[in-house]
Amino acid sequence: MRLKDKVAVVTGGAQGIGRAVVLGMGREGAKVVVADLQGEKAQSVAGELHALGAQGLAVEVNVASESSVKRMAKETFGHFGRADILVNVAGIYFPKASVVDLSEQDWDRTMDINVGSNFLCCREFVPAMRAQKSGRIISLASGIGHYGMRQFSHYAASKAAVMGFVKALARELGPDGITVNAICPGSANTAMPRQHRSEEEIMARLRSTPLPHVLEPEDIAGPILFLASDAAAFITGQSYNINCGSFMF
Amino acid sequence: MNQTAQVALLTGGGGGIGGAVARRMAVAGMIVVIADYDHAAAEQVSAEIKSAGGKAEALSVDVTQGREVKALVTDVAQRFGRIDVLANIAGGSFYTKRIEEFTWAEWKQVIDTNVKGTFLMCREVAPVMQRQKSGRIMNTASNYGVTGSALRAPYAAAKAGIISFTKSLALELAPDGILANTVAPGPTDTPRVMEKETPEARKQRWYSSIPLGRTGQPEDLAEMYYFLTTAEAAAITGQTFHVNGGLVMP
Repeated sequence: MRLKDKVAVVTGGAQGIGRAVVLGMGREGAKVVVADLQGEKAQSVAGELHALGAQGLAVEVNVASESSVKRMAKETFGHFGRADILVNVAGIYFPKASVVDLSEQDWDRTMDINVGSNFLCCREFVPAMRAQKSGRIISLASGIGHYGMRQFSHYAASKAAVMGFVKALARELGPDGITVNAICPGSANTAMPRQHRSEEEIMARLRSTPLPHVLEPEDIAGPILFLASDAAAFITGQSYNINCGSFMF
Repeated sequence: MNQTAQVALLTGGGGGIGGAVARRMAVAGMIVVIADYDHAAAEQVSAEIKSAGGKAEALSVDVTQGREVKALVTDVAQRFGRIDVLANIAGGSFYTKRIEEFTWAEWKQVIDTNVKGTFLMCREVAPVMQRQKSGRIMNTASNYGVTGSALRAPYAAAKAGIISFTKSLALELAPDGILANTVAPGPTDTPRVMEKETPEARKQRWYSSIPLGRTGQPEDLAEMYYFLTTAEAAAITGQTFHVNGGLVMP
């Protein structure tokens, strides 16, 4: 067990990639905070953790709200007494709109949830990691942050911003033994793209990658577990692409 | 995963990083074939692995020689029946001097040892993996392959070449379920480096520019190579994995 007795906080932990990370970490011996806007779903994933024999705590959180994130941190420390790993998965990939049609509200919402959340969550957990001179922060970016995507300028900008934030934070926290990295998934078989694509479009896209392999949440969770483990102690400031070869940067 | 032990072929397996990778793969239960220009070094790593209860074999190869590479791969494929993992680690910068001081022979030596050797090994091993419909290839670059390096022009060029070669290889081999990725080490404390530099000089040169405040150990790299052979890395191909303490963040 690579994460025995570590305490991990996973935002967006109630479904998709976040849920796969939560369950993977539970199997590796971590105690996991399942933090999600969807409280009931978070409860159900915490139940899955318990069924695995792992400890879990569901916390309802809005990662774009300062007070809500502070409450999540308070519950984490109150329940588990520490935090070793923070995985920022919560995000949105919506709505689809060209730049000229994109509303200011939708722009703000995307930036707040996708990258503002990284700032708010890190700000709450970094002091404890600094005090213990160890910690792992892993943020979900996206290949779209490198490559761009038409009608998703807000999403592309927010994910590129995550990578910039991760690099700066890696420089800031390296001296304290805390590593900070990003994972850039390609199109994955989750609920997220289903908000604006038909089932056929999604499956065609998932099957069009060079590697004949449909990208599943577990494929993204594996590298995140690696980055959270002792094996990745010398890796920081990196943005690793996990995408079945669809994009190589 | 197969029931039978996986077979890993490593070039430069007698060196600092190569030796650590060999030990890591052996601990994971693989049969490790350690190929190196320096046969005594390969033998030493092999003996260490065997005395720890692992399975290893030492063989000689000059990766710049097409005939030797072909003979090596044929031998390994015949002896073990398969090649699941290929890690091309043989390489080096050899010289630190200005472009105008490099001879053509020196340029070719650096390019050939790094990128031509990688090409020759992949060319011979790819058909074996294609028949198996599975395989993992890890090539070795350097942070200099993306940043360049004054006084190491041929090395930086060769390492950039490896990154791009590996992407092309990944695209070609993907339909057969074979993954190819690049590992890019930063400053790593290998015996070859440490014999040229005192620990104090090394600290002076690197620590302030590496956010994690230390140089890499061969074991740090070995974990990355090993991860890329696991089921957890099944969706990763054509990518470059920098392991450098934050020195370079491309």
